[in-house]
Amino acid sequence: MSRRDSGREDAAYWSPYVAGLGLGITLLLTYYVMGHGLGASGAFTQLTAKIVHRVAPDHTQVNSYLRGYLASGSFWRSWIVIEVLGVFVGGLLGALTAGRFKVQIERGPHATAGGRLLLALLGGAGVGFGSRLAQGCTSGQALSGGAVLAVGSWLFTLAFFLGGYMVASLVRRQWR
Amino acid sequence: MNAPLIPGEALAPELGLVAAAISGILFGFFLERAGFGSSRKLTAIFYLQDFAVLRVMFTAVVVAMVGLLVLGGIGQIDLAMLAIPDTYIWGQALGGLAIGIGFAVGGC
Repeated sequence: MSRRDSGREDAAYWSPYVAGLGLGITLLLTYYVMGHGLGASGAFTQLTAKIVHRVAPDHTQVNSYLRGYLASGSFWRSWIVIEVLGVFVGGLLGALTAGRFKVQIERGPHATAGGRLLLALLGGAGVGFGSRLAQGCTSGQALSGGAVLAVGSWLFTLAFFLGGYMVASLVRRQWR
Repeated sequence: MNAPLIPGEALAPELGLVAAAISGILFGFFLERAGFGSSRKLTAIFYLQDFAVLRVMFTAVVVAMVGLLVLGGIGQIDLAMLAIPDTYIWGQALGGLAIGIGFAVGGC
């Protein structure tokens, strides 16, 4: 735990083991009821398919990747879209009940807000591209795939940490 | 034995969206309680200053894994019906790398 971070907000967070237990039981329940794990990035692919279909329906008909997403039913009946909306509600509830709700552009003491937003956009694009390449993000692969010992998901997890540690020193001023 | 409940037809498929909403709300709530609403806390692992990401993630993985094995062992869930992510070595290695880089840069 960083000394610089040990303010009031940090003290209010749950022990990582307690939060991890809650998260693990949530994941177990999801597998028990739905037969699959949790996800996140898939909702954005559903959104992409929906928007592209609205703008250029001909394109989605010939694009086998996007067509697959449209074939699985309408946007609002997609489990992952509803789940991600639930994540937003749950996160909001958590922040409000802990008195942590705050509008801010979180960054290190030497980073500018504009630079932070630009890098958030670039990083987000990297995460979006990577999650399609890997067929999942940290939720679908590392967490859900990890719990069922999927080989590729563990490879994903190792590569994820490798990528993060590779570039962390270049963007240190953004965060520390 | 009819778990997993929805693929095992113990629950109507229409209830899947209700289950997805409940899963999502719990997921978001526990992530927030862990401190993962904060990008600085999430990225602190890459500066070896805060290992909450690793602790939370691996606790969750182990809890779910042991839970599934126990439920499967006592015949309460058919593990063969679970959706397991497919293995694509290059896709998952390069995708994981890209997400790791994007995560450190973007903070999501």
